[in-house]
Amino acid sequence: MASNLPPSPSLPLPPSAIDGETGRRGDGETRSTSSLSRAWAICAKDAAQELRRRIAIASIFFFAATAVTLVSFGIGPFGLPAEARDRVCSALLWIILFFCAATGLPRAFVREEETGTAFALRKVAPASLTLAGKTLFNYLLFLAIAAVTLPAFSILLEWRLGSPGAMIALLVLAGYGLAVVSTFLAALVARASQKNVLFVVISFPLLLPLLLSAIVATVEAAGGSLPSTPLRVIVAYDGAATCAGYLLASAAWED
Amino acid sequence: MLATTIEARQLSKAFAGPPLFSGLSFHAGAGLLAVKGRNGSGKTTLLKILASLAHPSAGSVSVRQGEEELSGDRRRLAVGWSGPDLAFYEDFSAPENLLFLSRAGGRPRSAEDLARRLAEVGLAGAMEKRVGAFSTGMKQRLKIAFALLFDPPVLLLDEPMIGLDTDGRSIVEGVVEARRREGLVILASNDPRDFVRPDQVVELGK
Repeated sequence: MASNLPPSPSLPLPPSAIDGETGRRGDGETRSTSSLSRAWAICAKDAAQELRRRIAIASIFFFAATAVTLVSFGIGPFGLPAEARDRVCSALLWIILFFCAATGLPRAFVREEETGTAFALRKVAPASLTLAGKTLFNYLLFLAIAAVTLPAFSILLEWRLGSPGAMIALLVLAGYGLAVVSTFLAALVARASQKNVLFVVISFPLLLPLLLSAIVATVEAAGGSLPSTPLRVIVAYDGAATCAGYLLASAAWED
Repeated sequence: MLATTIEARQLSKAFAGPPLFSGLSFHAGAGLLAVKGRNGSGKTTLLKILASLAHPSAGSVSVRQGEEELSGDRRRLAVGWSGPDLAFYEDFSAPENLLFLSRAGGRPRSAEDLARRLAEVGLAGAMEKRVGAFSTGMKQRLKIAFALLFDPPVLLLDEPMIGLDTDGRSIVEGVVEARRREGLVILASNDPRDFVRPDQVVELGK
């Protein structure tokens, strides 16, 4: 029974409520809020939903822990020749991050369709805002996954990153592109019958440039240099993905 | 306040096979418009098109406030909708659902306002309960509260009496009577008892 569930996290207040923007009108309606506040409300709803269910988020982190542990036992800190170490570890790291993301990111839209809540959401918010809110949630989820996975991976494989700052910048930028494209594709396939297969098949060619650039950048960051060229490619990818997502949001999410 | 009107011009909708309806035109400005028709005649689809939740295969719908044609958020929130396909977040309570939807709609409601709205549809005793534990009738009442959330001048109600007890029916009848005096109610149903003195009738599948 739903009523027997443990106490639940409440819906976080949107920024407008925090900064005192919510002066009430006489009819019980607070002031109209900005697009950012509306997108944040959608992100906060997704977060509250995931935290209440717990199992979905737990399974993503369990998947990450299992993958990192298997890789560390499989090749171990000394199982790789020194000259190949940065390349192999970089590729393995991004494979783990990609599959963790692919496990969790499509859920944002698919669940709305499967439970029938998509109609309520479509009735109140335009597709671009819904996409923005869900991208924000997926981005934060990716950063949380990366924040757990990277240190664990680094410790278990005794892999020292020469330039941790560049690695963080890389995760922030590449994670954004991954979240935007994954969220958009999730909206696109949400009503398809074979949505999981479609998501993987479509996401592979679209995310390949991003993942390859991220791997190259990780190799350079691990070697201690600033991966300026691949980072520029990733920034350009992020910009193109954002524009495409915004322009095509309506076609992907609405009837 | 300017009157809000809705106009359908040469609407057609087809999925696979013959069209559900074609060449459908009407203009409604106030009162109660009844949408009648047998099962599968396209009542639900028509209301979704009017609510901007589905695109027609041909034709167009315009919502006007005075002479101005509404678009975007103004149009979305000016037309309230409730239908059989509408569902809510089952992990959340009714106030949490409406709070989130009002925030996502850009017009957040206060807790007191939401409590009042839920009390008006007879859900005052279920404020803490999660929607997943609601009965069919309680969910139907929440759908009515959602349709009224932004106080829309146009209200689309698709089979609003499904699963309701006598009290629930009275509440919906009261809502329809009150709203038809202030604006426009478009109500689709198979049951002739759901329509009390409609001002206009659109019959599908004749």
